[in-house]
Amino acid sequence: MMWRLGLLVLAQAVNRDLQAAARRAGGAKALWDCDQGRLPSVLGHDDDALRAWKAARKAFSTEWAMEELARQGAWWSAQLPPSIDALVDPPFALVGRGSPLGQAGDGVPVVAVVGSRRPTARGLSFARSLASDLCRQGAVVVSGLALGIDAAAHQGALDAGGSTIAVLGSSVDQIAPRTNLRLAERIIASGGTVLSEYWFETPPAPWRFPARNRVVAGIADAVVVVEAAERSGALITADFALDLGRPVLAVPGPAGATMSQGCHHLLRAGAALCERAEDVVAELDGLRWLGESAGPAAPEGGPDAVVFDEVLREPQLVDELAETCGLSTAEIVSALGRLEIDGLVARDALNRYSARGR
Amino acid sequence: MVAHIVSPALLGLHAATVHVEADLRSGMPAFAVVGLPDTAVQESRERVRSGLVNQAFKVPRQRIIVNLAPADLRKVGPQYDLPIALAILAASGQIRRTLLAGLGAVGELALDGSLRPLQGTIAMAEHAAANGWTRLIVPAANAAEAALVTGVDIVPATSVRHAVDILEGRTEAEFAAIDPQRLLADHAGRHGPDMREIRGQSGARRALEVAAAGAHSTLMIGPPGGGKTMLARRLPSILPPLDLDHAVTLTRIHSVAGKLPAGAAMMAERPFRAPHHTISAVGLVGGGTVPRPGEVTLAHLGVLFLDEVCAFSPAALDALRQPLEEGTVDITRGMMTARFPARPLLVCAGNPCPCGYDGDADRPCTCPPGRATAYRARLSGPIMDRIDLHLTVPRLESGDIVGQVQGGEESVVVRSRVIAARARAAARGQTVANGLLPAAAARAVCVLEGPEEALLRRAVDRYALSARAYDRLLRVARTIADLEGVERVETRHLTEALGYRLPSADRMAA
Repeated sequence: MMWRLGLLVLAQAVNRDLQAAARRAGGAKALWDCDQGRLPSVLGHDDDALRAWKAARKAFSTEWAMEELARQGAWWSAQLPPSIDALVDPPFALVGRGSPLGQAGDGVPVVAVVGSRRPTARGLSFARSLASDLCRQGAVVVSGLALGIDAAAHQGALDAGGSTIAVLGSSVDQIAPRTNLRLAERIIASGGTVLSEYWFETPPAPWRFPARNRVVAGIADAVVVVEAAERSGALITADFALDLGRPVLAVPGPAGATMSQGCHHLLRAGAALCERAEDVVAELDGLRWLGESAGPAAPEGGPDAVVFDEVLREPQLVDELAETCGLSTAEIVSALGRLEIDGLVARDALNRYSARGR
Repeated sequence: MVAHIVSPALLGLHAATVHVEADLRSGMPAFAVVGLPDTAVQESRERVRSGLVNQAFKVPRQRIIVNLAPADLRKVGPQYDLPIALAILAASGQIRRTLLAGLGAVGELALDGSLRPLQGTIAMAEHAAANGWTRLIVPAANAAEAALVTGVDIVPATSVRHAVDILEGRTEAEFAAIDPQRLLADHAGRHGPDMREIRGQSGARRALEVAAAGAHSTLMIGPPGGGKTMLARRLPSILPPLDLDHAVTLTRIHSVAGKLPAGAAMMAERPFRAPHHTISAVGLVGGGTVPRPGEVTLAHLGVLFLDEVCAFSPAALDALRQPLEEGTVDITRGMMTARFPARPLLVCAGNPCPCGYDGDADRPCTCPPGRATAYRARLSGPIMDRIDLHLTVPRLESGDIVGQVQGGEESVVVRSRVIAARARAAARGQTVANGLLPAAAARAVCVLEGPEEALLRRAVDRYALSARAYDRLLRVARTIADLEGVERVETRHLTEALGYRLPSADRMAA
């Protein structure tokens, strides 16, 4: 099966997706064995690409490839989970760092939590706590290691001590954006996986992200879209999931919110509604769930309760709370400090407070 | 015949003695100045010549040699015109040489012989008093600030002729005298813009009160139009009034920098400095071949407001580190080191992202993903390390702008609470405000036990607080308790202080 890994190396050498070429050649194996005369008709009349192909094909050896993998501390697998094989254009092979993928059919639910790279504070906080709750209930959370919702989903899984899979739009040695480098390392350190269908030194490129999304959809048993604008990459993930017959869930947002229009579109088209982890559990009946997740208890009475109820209604700034709660600013800031320590509220980098885990 | 007079030379905020000697020798008429003079001092020859002639004195038709001693000190500026003129008059016998004994003089001459105002007169007067000079002739326009100094007679003069008339007793000197206490009292009730004019923004208002009460440096983040600048401008109005010592220090700084308000004898109000973000490191902390104070020194005891703090050059922000930590700026130049005081209340303001609308309820942010995070990350490091209070200033709703929301408290009311809080700190024996306490002292005045200690321990675990962040939290909680008039720091004070905590690096990246 080494030829599958060879195709990854070739794709990196000619810097393009070879899935279409494989289709033209009549299968991945046929593409690998393709003779020089037929190559232009399969690959296109691109002299540079043809030259690169021939050079890489000639240089490729099993020993070299295994050495490279060892050097990068990575593993590879030609044995794709059957769920991925069901894709129209499955990856030739997968390269990963961290724990190997679980066995298909072992009953461990795998849930994709995806969404916008430019989320709202509410979306971020929801994605994080949803991922935490899913992990507490025994799921593996998969996402795309992008900024925003993706990063929050991975983070949430790590918060709960769970395991999470990050699928990259580049090779595993080219983590992008670089701000997520640390996150990737924490994912690997805590027993998760960083996964890619690209050979080393493949940089991220815009056209690789939809391809990445099909792998996310392929691995997952269900896809939850937390926040998505009208034209969002997260919707591509949802489309792939629908093609594969997997459940798609969408998180509703306030009416008219830009960052929720994609979700509302999905809901209108028949996606299941996701308000909490239990909604996902209900969709994936029959997998090995652990049972109820216990969140922290809401405060009772006093200014804490007033402030908490208000934050629960809508994420707010201190000034907005001052208007609605009828408490002094000092009392509100003080109450929020207590609630934050108890993990009941969270605030974003701009000090907007939102309720966690609800 | 050699004539001799002394004159002060500015070195930073202090002065040194320069001996001005004039000698006449026979030979071709000439006029030479020696003793490391700069161009302005060289040109002094022409001003002195014209000035003397136009005031009906004679310029001797001999070789005139003027020596400025000590010879290794670089003499800069036009301030030696008057002493040179007087020395020449004495050397040529137009006035008695004994008149110059114990006399200091300083001033720039106009071509008609009148005296122009100069910078740093108060520092020169202090030097004169400290060195036992009996009288110091200064330009009349600078007499008021110089008169803040006791121990030397300040003689205001309008021209060379006027100065000579006073020296020879033909004209009565009008010794300048002011009553600084009354000046201060006059100003105490008067200050710039008032807090009352701010509508809404209850969160920021409260935070600024805490900032003023404990001298805590503050960072305000918010979209354009939230009134960050308006808020900062009103901060001096809630700070405690100046005492005389501080006012004199401020007057000296601003006089040396030439920033004393026109016609004012002294700085009776706390300064508010808002340098533009293109400012250089030298502009911010001071420098130059002859060290001059920078913005951080000009804002000493007042407010240093850095608007668009993310746009300041990293080098400039980095240079602020030493002054903010030590309260002084040391500038070392070839022959000398100048030390300027620099203890402003630092207030920074910034947009949440380059376009300014990240997190805004109504307007979408147009920055590409990740830009806002990268932008905020520029804040980290040297400056963030020194920020005690972090707050968000939201954009005003239209109702707030047109005035449906009641305006807030007057500055006077807030200021009285601030004064009470500072008095409470002083009663504990603190010589500095809470925000400036060293770590050990902060822990000593903020002893926690029982539930408070448990809460703080939980906070440390939860937020992985660094030792520095922990001490900041203690100082802010101490100030909040002082504002409430409570000696013991209680849970509600700590939790409010937690609310002003900086977002952790983790949350900045999320």
